[in-house]
Amino acid sequence: MSHGPDDCNAEMRELFFETSQELLQSLNDEALKLEKNPADLECVRSIRRIVHTLKGDAAACGFRELSQTAHAMEDALALESIPLNTIAEIAFTAADTFAVMLAAYQRNADVPSSESLQKMLRKAAQDSDSEKSSEQRASTMSTGPAIWNEYEQLAIQKASAKGKHVFHVAAIIDPRCAMPIAARQLLLNALEGWGEVLATRPEAGSQKPGKKLEVLLATEKTSEELARRCRIPTVTLPEVSVQVVASPQPQPGKTNPQTELKRTDAAIAQSETGSSPAVTDPPSQGESPNTSGENVLRVDAERIDSLLDLVGELILGKSMLQQAFYELAQRFPKEAIRGRFLDAMSFQARVLSDLQRSVMKIRMVPVEQLFRRFPRLVRDVAKECGKDVELALSGQDTDLDKRLLDAIAEPLTHIVRNAVSHGIESGQERTVAGKPARGTIRLTSYHQGNQVIVEVSDDGRGIDSQKVKMKAVEKGLLTTDEATRLNEAEILDFVFRPGLSTAEEVTEISGRGVGLDVVRSVLQRLKGSVEIQTHHGKGTTFQLKLPLTLAIIKALLFHIGHRLYAIPLNAVAEIARTTESELHLVDQHEVLQLRDRVLPLIRLGSAPSDTAQSARKIFVLVISMGERKFGLIVDSLVGEEELVIKALDDRSISTDLISGASVLGDGRVVLIVNLPAVIERHARSRPGQQGTVASGFLLPTADLKLAQSKVEAQS
Amino acid sequence: MNRELHIVGFQIGRETYGVPITSLHEIVRVPEITAVPDAPDYMEGVINLRGKIVSVIDLRKRFGATKVTAARRNRILVIEHKGKLAGLIVDSASEVLKIPAADVEDCLASFQEGGLNCVSGLGKWKGRLIILLDMAKLLESSKDKGSNQERTVENQRASASAAGASATK
Repeated sequence: MSHGPDDCNAEMRELFFETSQELLQSLNDEALKLEKNPADLECVRSIRRIVHTLKGDAAACGFRELSQTAHAMEDALALESIPLNTIAEIAFTAADTFAVMLAAYQRNADVPSSESLQKMLRKAAQDSDSEKSSEQRASTMSTGPAIWNEYEQLAIQKASAKGKHVFHVAAIIDPRCAMPIAARQLLLNALEGWGEVLATRPEAGSQKPGKKLEVLLATEKTSEELARRCRIPTVTLPEVSVQVVASPQPQPGKTNPQTELKRTDAAIAQSETGSSPAVTDPPSQGESPNTSGENVLRVDAERIDSLLDLVGELILGKSMLQQAFYELAQRFPKEAIRGRFLDAMSFQARVLSDLQRSVMKIRMVPVEQLFRRFPRLVRDVAKECGKDVELALSGQDTDLDKRLLDAIAEPLTHIVRNAVSHGIESGQERTVAGKPARGTIRLTSYHQGNQVIVEVSDDGRGIDSQKVKMKAVEKGLLTTDEATRLNEAEILDFVFRPGLSTAEEVTEISGRGVGLDVVRSVLQRLKGSVEIQTHHGKGTTFQLKLPLTLAIIKALLFHIGHRLYAIPLNAVAEIARTTESELHLVDQHEVLQLRDRVLPLIRLGSAPSDTAQSARKIFVLVISMGERKFGLIVDSLVGEEELVIKALDDRSISTDLISGASVLGDGRVVLIVNLPAVIERHARSRPGQQGTVASGFLLPTADLKLAQSKVEAQS
Repeated sequence: MNRELHIVGFQIGRETYGVPITSLHEIVRVPEITAVPDAPDYMEGVINLRGKIVSVIDLRKRFGATKVTAARRNRILVIEHKGKLAGLIVDSASEVLKIPAADVEDCLASFQEGGLNCVSGLGKWKGRLIILLDMAKLLESSKDKGSNQERTVENQRASASAAGASATK
């Protein structure tokens, strides 16, 4: 096997793919900004910088097609007379094209053509006054003034106030010169002897060789002298331009027109040097990879996962130790050293939970990473549907486990698309309803207890529960009889069932009957839930509830028969004790009257076989799933424990009733119940016979048989 | 040179089966098994293998045995397949067999269907016939089969609960 350069290359490409995603995101952001505010020249400059960086990185990784396309785009953007609104359009197309190309590179597939983008660029180029711009380009390419930032402009003013000339010296390093960096230094040294160097392009310390050196020099010499000084044979080319930037008249507040930020090729000349883009960046560009690189580590997620696994094992070890200690304490109740043991153990437990929290924090990323993609999405979908929709984001800094974030990207996208295409009405409809013509979609995220909530709400037409009911009956999911008995919340629940779409017409974007059921199943897999609130005519809110993390949960352990199961503790609202005789049978469903409300029950174990057991004591775990509450009948409670969730082998275990397993301190395996699936199974099950109830969801079929065989095995 | 296959032999009923030694992770005694609800009959449950959760299939049930009795010599073969572990309960695990590749025959066409579609060949060893199993087919086919059986399981349960309830009345 040959490692080395190949490996290094692969690593670089990996890095490139990561940073390029960020670049594309900022490209989209800038384009959106530009579309909203077409006169914003700063956006255009940012776009150009982004495309340029992408070009350079792509070239460095050997992705020739991408770098060429980026180059073409950069050239086109340089044309001064392209209308700014076309630039936004071009930027959107470019972002898409680049994304497709990147994906192809990543898969090692053939790179798709960028023809549509190229065509757009060519058209834009033709539209613009080509003659004029090309002429201008020819001249600016060689001597175009660089853009000086605020600090430097201040220096210019100061120098001119002191009675010095400020010159902009631009010299071109001889391409034949073998050591361009040394040549640059030579030239700089020569100039430094003559006056004060206020600024240079490329900036001092930059390692990338640039062909051109631009210096801002405050001096008392004349421009001719300077030009002569710069002509160093074999180091610089004879064409040296020296322009006066400021004369020695104190004119505070007024800068020379040449220093004004103009949309010229200078930006290219500046960025060609590969210097940090932060020079003229607004602070909002802070997330660009170059600027914050020193304090941020890019770590493979796998390494963090293995760290988290180890912490999980440690917590397992902690409960093993605790168990052993309790046994020991029972055997030697008078042992004096017990207190010290307890102290040490509680200390260890505290450090462990700190450790767990810190490791968990590594995985946390702000939801902004996910939210950033939505402005573009909403814009596109809204445009396609001919609607005017505004997206309001809030709570972007809420932290969420990276794995969760990645997992909800798809469902969230679906919900937002739905909100735009179905939720928000057309402009006309809205005006008739007395709402502003422009629809609003809010994307919010916040913490609530041990959960993170991501909310999508629109101020659209809301979901018509009558329509849902009709659809459900029509599709045979519901009998008319049942339909009349269901309450609003139960009916709305049907939108999460497969095969139900309330959209009248099926569009390209949404309403194909797949979707919300997928959203729900994803959320269930993540041990979260999705809820829906809607007011007819006022809007709909989707609430995605997610656990803070996937790996470790606090759980309540209980027995069904002699089997041990666990449910997440935060789902349990209360625990009620009762006897079999207290249960009532309503419409073939068992219920319990708990204080002033009737609680539907789900029997996880087996139903009592005869009336003699009616006095048997049972526990009912009251769990709340959103607005609804259920009671789980369990045989006995074991206690509360912190569980490290381990995935089950999904090749062989296909049940959705169990979401995972964990190992207890004494080595026993406990299965973690997937509550939403159990509830759904309960709702689906229709007892066939009068007087029977659905039961025994969690009883393995071979339970009795197995118990028997185990006794034999032990003997 | 005569190529030899290294096979771990184990007994199910009267027959000797074999899996390639390379796919074997370890052999353990049958520990306490946590049964999984809603699973096909032969899916015994999961075990704790030094902190790892490993799902366990009873090969005897998988191959159609209806009455299975547990015994001390029963073992779980822990198989590593595609990076994941799975356990197979067998009556007993005996020996490592070295079978010359020439002595392995392709399995009969009639084996390709039905419950035994995971046989990859028949090896002859000292006058005995060793049934060689294909791990990929054994472990991957169990999923489709599982969903089939699951339905029957559900039916069974429905009738069972119906029976239980009628007894209540």
